[in-house]
Amino acid sequence: MREQLLALLDEIRPDVEFEKETKLIDDGILDSFDIISIVQEMNDTFGVRIKANELQPDNFNTVDAMIELIEKLKRRA
Amino acid sequence: MTFVTLPFFIFVAAVTLAYFLAPRQCRWVVLLLGSYYFYWTNSAWLVLVLLGTTWVTFGIGLWLQRVNDQKQTWLKANGELPWSEVSKYENRINRRARCILLLGVAIDLGALLFLKYFNFFGQNINRLLSGLGHGSPVPVLKLLLPLGISFYTLQAIAYMVDVYRGDERADRNPFKFMLFMSFFPQIVQGPIPRHDKLAVQLYEPHDFDYTRMCYGVQLMVWGLIKKLVIAERLAIPTNYLFDHFADFKGPILLFASAMYGLQVYTDFSGGMDIARGVAHILGIELELNFTQPYFSSSIEEFWRRWHITMGSWMKDYVFYPLSLSEPFTNLSRKCRKVMGKYIGKRIPAFLAMFIVYFLVGFWHGPNWKYVAYGIWNGVFIMSGILLESTYARCRKKLGIQEKAVTWRLFRIIRTFILVSIGRFFSGAADLRTALDMIGRMFMHWRDITFIYNGTLLKAGLNTANWFLLFVMLMLLFFVDFMHEKKVSFRQVLDEQPLVFRWLIYIAAVLVILIFGYYGPQYDAASFIYAGF
Repeated sequence: MREQLLALLDEIRPDVEFEKETKLIDDGILDSFDIISIVQEMNDTFGVRIKANELQPDNFNTVDAMIELIEKLKRRA
Repeated sequence: MTFVTLPFFIFVAAVTLAYFLAPRQCRWVVLLLGSYYFYWTNSAWLVLVLLGTTWVTFGIGLWLQRVNDQKQTWLKANGELPWSEVSKYENRINRRARCILLLGVAIDLGALLFLKYFNFFGQNINRLLSGLGHGSPVPVLKLLLPLGISFYTLQAIAYMVDVYRGDERADRNPFKFMLFMSFFPQIVQGPIPRHDKLAVQLYEPHDFDYTRMCYGVQLMVWGLIKKLVIAERLAIPTNYLFDHFADFKGPILLFASAMYGLQVYTDFSGGMDIARGVAHILGIELELNFTQPYFSSSIEEFWRRWHITMGSWMKDYVFYPLSLSEPFTNLSRKCRKVMGKYIGKRIPAFLAMFIVYFLVGFWHGPNWKYVAYGIWNGVFIMSGILLESTYARCRKKLGIQEKAVTWRLFRIIRTFILVSIGRFFSGAADLRTALDMIGRMFMHWRDITFIYNGTLLKAGLNTANWFLLFVMLMLLFFVDFMHEKKVSFRQVLDEQPLVFRWLIYIAAVLVILIFGYYGPQYDAASFIYAGF
C-alpha cells in the first residue's frame, strides 16, 4: 500500500519529498487542489470513499497518517 | 456605537471592569449582556433576527446531537449484526440527520437571502418580465439588514455542519450559545469563528493579565491608526476619482483602484485589529483574518492571506464537500475519459472553485458587480493552476530562477496590479461603471503626468495630506514586512525601557487624535465590511 500511495503522491506533486515531510497541510505544502487530487486518486486506487469531514490536517500531514486513514476506511467498508 | 467612537471605548472599559470584577462562574454572563447591549444600541429591534437565527441554530444543533447519540448507542448495541444491517441503519439515520441539517441551513440562509437579496432578485425578475411585456410583478420591499447577518449566518451554518459531522458536540446551554452567536467584538464584521475554537474561550473565565491587556490595547491602537489615519484619508481621493471617473483616462484610474484596495485593506484589517485587541484584553483569542495579503505572489495566495476565516469557511463547507460529492466524483471520472487524466481530474475542482468564487462575490452584496468581482478572482486562480506546467516551461526557457528575489518581486507587483484591477468591480457603483472604468484605464495608458501635474491635489487632499498618507503607507508596509519576517512588534516593544515604550504609546495616540481623519465626509458609523 505504501508504495502505491507514494507513487500516486509523487505523480501529483513530484516536487515534494513525501517521506520526509511531517506537516504537509500545516506548513501549506499541499493546497486544496492537491488534496482533492490526492483524495480522488486514493478513492480510485484503494477502493475507499473519503468524505469532506475526513479532510482534517491530522489525516493528511504525513504519509503514515494517510495510510492510517485508508486502513480505517477499509476496515469500515 | 461603532468601533471608532468614544462611547465604544467607554463601553469596552465598562465590560472589561465588570468582567474581571464578576465572580468567575458569572463572567460569561457579563459578555452575554455586553454583547446584547452592543447589538441593541446598533440595531434595536433587528436583534430579534439574530435571536431567531440563534434559537433555530441551537435547536437544530440539539436535534442533530440527539440523532448522533442515538446512532452511536445503536452501533454500540448492534455492532455484531451483519454489515448489511448496520449499513442499512446508518443510511437511514444519516438521511434523517441530513434532513435536519438542511432544515436548519434553509431557515438560517433563508433569512439572509430574504433580507439581503429579495429586492435584488425581485428587480432582476421585474426587469426580465417587463422586457417581455409582463410588467413588474415583484414588489420592492423596505428591508433593513441586521448588523453582521452575513457573518453570523455563516457562523451558524458552520456550527450545524460540525455537529452533523460529529466534529463538535452541540451546546446544551441556550444562553451560552447566545453568547457564542453574538460576541460583540466579532459580530460586526468577523472574523467568522468556529465553535471549537471560540466557544470554550467564551464560556471559561479568564483572569486579568496586565501584559495581555497591554497587547490588546496596542492592537486596538494600531487598528485605529489603520482605520482613522489611513483608510479614512484614502477614502477622500478614492471617492473623488471613482465619482468623477468620466473626467479621467489612463493609469490614474488604476491608481484610484489600487488606493481603493488599500482603503479596504486598512479599513477591514483595522477593524479586525480592534476586534482582536478587545477580545485579547478579555483573554479571548480571535482568529487572524489577514496575513500581509499584499505580499502575495499570486491571486491564489492573496486569497489565502485575505479574509482568511471566510476563505477557510468556503473551503471546508463548500469547496471540499462539493468536490468530493458523488455528482462531482462521477463528473471527474467522465471528464478523465473524455479529456484525459490531467484536465479531467481538475475539471470538478475547477467547477467547485468557480462556485466558491461566485458565492464569495455574491456574499459581498446583492449586485452583479460583486459576482463579477468573484469571477475575476476565480478565473485567475483557475488559469494559474491550469497553465501551471506551461508557465513552468516558459520560466525554464527564459532561464528564470524561481527563488530569485527579482522574480518574486515581479510576481508581487503583478499580483498587486491584478488585485487592483479587480477592485474596480467592488469599488465602482455598478458593473457597467466598473467595465467602463477598466476600458478607460487602458486609454492613454502611458500618461503618468497625473503624479506631478496637480491632478491629485484636486481630489480632496492637499500636499501635506498626501505626504502624510505616503508616510503612513510606508509605515504600514514596514509593519507588514516585519510581520512577514516573523518579527513580533510586541516583543520588541516589551524589551524597550519603560520611558521609551510610553513615548511610543503616546505618539501613537497623538497620531490618531491629530491625524485621524474626521473631516466633512467622515462617517464614524461606516466600516466597509460592516455593510456586507
